[in-house]
Amino acid sequence: MDLDLLSDFLAEPQTSAPRELLSDLPNRSLTLQNADSNPNPNPSSNTVNRNSPGAVISKIEDIFEAMTDCLLGERKELVIQLKTGRRKQKSKSDADNTKRTRSGIRTVTFPNKSPHEAWKFTALLRILELSHEALVTGIVTTKRDIYYRDPELFLKQAVVDQYVDDIAYTLGVERDALNVVAAAKGLVSGSFTIIRKDNSVVDYSAEPGGLLIPDPKNIQEVELEGVKWILVIEKEACTSRVSATFRTLATEQYWKGSRAGKGILITAKGYPDIQTRQFLRLLSTHAPEIPILALVDFDADGIGIMSTYKSGSAALAHESATLAVPSIQWLGVRSCDFLKTDADVPGLLKLTARDRRIAVKMLEREMEEEWRRELQVMLMLDVKAEIQVLGNGERLGEWLDGKLLDAVRID
Amino acid sequence: MYTELKSEPSRDVVQRVFISNAAKAFKRFFSLRIVNHNTFKNVPHDSVTMSKQYLTTHTVDDAHKTDIFSVAVTPTQVLSASGASSIKVHSTTSPDIPLAQTISGAHKLGCHHIVTSRNGKIAASAGFGGEVKLWSISESGEWAEQGKIEDGNKAGEIWAIALSEDGQYLASTTYDGRINVWDTAGKKIREYETKGSFGLCIDMSRDGKFTASGHENGAVYVFNNDTGRMMYSLPGLVKPVRTVAFSPAGTRLAAAGDARVIALYDVQHGEQVADLTGHSAWIFSVDWSDTGEYLLSGSFDGKVKVWSIDRRACVATHSETEKTLWCVKWLPKVSNKSEAFATAGANRSITFYREATGG
Repeated sequence: MDLDLLSDFLAEPQTSAPRELLSDLPNRSLTLQNADSNPNPNPSSNTVNRNSPGAVISKIEDIFEAMTDCLLGERKELVIQLKTGRRKQKSKSDADNTKRTRSGIRTVTFPNKSPHEAWKFTALLRILELSHEALVTGIVTTKRDIYYRDPELFLKQAVVDQYVDDIAYTLGVERDALNVVAAAKGLVSGSFTIIRKDNSVVDYSAEPGGLLIPDPKNIQEVELEGVKWILVIEKEACTSRVSATFRTLATEQYWKGSRAGKGILITAKGYPDIQTRQFLRLLSTHAPEIPILALVDFDADGIGIMSTYKSGSAALAHESATLAVPSIQWLGVRSCDFLKTDADVPGLLKLTARDRRIAVKMLEREMEEEWRRELQVMLMLDVKAEIQVLGNGERLGEWLDGKLLDAVRID
Repeated sequence: MYTELKSEPSRDVVQRVFISNAAKAFKRFFSLRIVNHNTFKNVPHDSVTMSKQYLTTHTVDDAHKTDIFSVAVTPTQVLSASGASSIKVHSTTSPDIPLAQTISGAHKLGCHHIVTSRNGKIAASAGFGGEVKLWSISESGEWAEQGKIEDGNKAGEIWAIALSEDGQYLASTTYDGRINVWDTAGKKIREYETKGSFGLCIDMSRDGKFTASGHENGAVYVFNNDTGRMMYSLPGLVKPVRTVAFSPAGTRLAAAGDARVIALYDVQHGEQVADLTGHSAWIFSVDWSDTGEYLLSGSFDGKVKVWSIDRRACVATHSETEKTLWCVKWLPKVSNKSEAFATAGANRSITFYREATGG
């Protein structure tokens, strides 16, 4: 399975990149000599508090300790044992350099003659280190954050996703107990109220900065009185300048002041996590008459994010029935939004090779004709644009008002 | 129907001389241009007396389900490619432009470029999935797949394509700026490296001697296919170059794009000889008339313009649509018929124009 995940990367980098990465390891010169390894990953424990931060921290520290022992004892190999039993079938080549001690447990050793294996060791160690940090500091991190801490090492998000799950499984804890959550939690702000199952009431209009997306499981009732639109925004915040992000629109209470009436703002900070999708789905089924509109970048990811809301991700196809929001509409950014003018448009970017690859991959999927057309135009023009291309401040407000008014009228 | 007839096209003496005696007129125009160069420059194009009239003769409405990204012509047909999977072939021999053939499933993810050899026997098309297909026409006038051009590397590396006059060679660009020339049996003959900027467009001179490419960073390169060397890196356009075209004799090169200017270069000396200004939006397509006297251009805002090369001036502007014109093409000259061209783009239709005669 992990070979599948890596197929497009490790085809080449297997020989080059990981080796370079490893040469930087400070302990490289120490990892030598003989003697058998005796690590203690302490894979399972049935203590009642196995999910408590303290217990998890000590489990991770046990692993580190065992490694230190290896280094101090000048033993030959560093070892991480991974329990992988829950996954059904491993690809056969995966077993090449992986010693299987017993069914379901794989041993990842370092140094290792296979660059892939050595890279895997490094990646696992780094994840252990980062979740240790998250536990010690008490700051919940996300799989995405972990990936971005070291993208050159992890190569892609899916690697982190899988290894985090593997480590959690190996340690016998829930993933949340590692202080790692699936994705950045979404935010919501707007003119609505939620009654929780415990009968407590949360008024989201009282929190201009936005609140975390509530867990739909705890929602008894959503009060959407007077809500005319729901706007899903790709970005939470933008470092470069003031623009159409969730944060700026929420702070200026656009959901209250729009000419299109009152509304709700939602962001999942990029590709939506399940909870955000569940929540949006809840809103859409609860009040199907309110239009749901997406404001995303004009690039393959923007359209990808929109399609994830609409019909789900390929990985979670089986869940899409309970997560999909087929009624979501595209508010912008389209190519015509920024190419209409005669003047040169600042902020247009050319596509990277990755952008083009993703766009072509997306063309292979089923999607709305208009979205397909815009993807093709994107490829033809070799141009992408972020939401900021629409301008900021007043100009953006007018643009949004106009678009939202159109959407509200049609519906 | 007259669409945008901005000025009274008085067909004065000079024009008549021009038509009746091309060689003489050429000289005369030439001197006229020299003498009146400054005058012309300061006069808006529309008030220049010698504008030309074109009438729309036919429109194939909704020829495709989506944007038509590219059209190619033969002496008797127009081939069109779009964001949908089929290639359509319309006959231009009869005035109602009937559909002659639909090549279904030609490019699963849609097709962004289609070109034909000047002799009308070979066509090539490039799809969004990265595949390039070659087509040949049978005696009965049906197109059939003849083969594929496959880059040894990854699919999707080929972007813009051009065929030589006899259909023996195909030139292509890549997203990382390489230019390749193939024989249509599929063998790569030349590979030119440039500075790595996306090759958005390409053309080959009719004699197959030169290849020119236009790039995202504004670069225009001319290569000599005989020697396998880059001849010129042409300056002038700083913004993406979306279309390049050799004149029929191969002596001039036109290049245009986001700079909204059409630059004319002398191929032999690698010098820019003119700037044709007048478009107010990105230019996606230029094409030379058979005689090399006129240049056709189409832009993002749906405007199509005809330019007199001698006068360096726009002689006609039409805007049948406000939607993007992805491709404009002269139809090969048919004896005893006036000049005609076709435009296609985001409105999914192919519109045919013919020069108004008489008067």
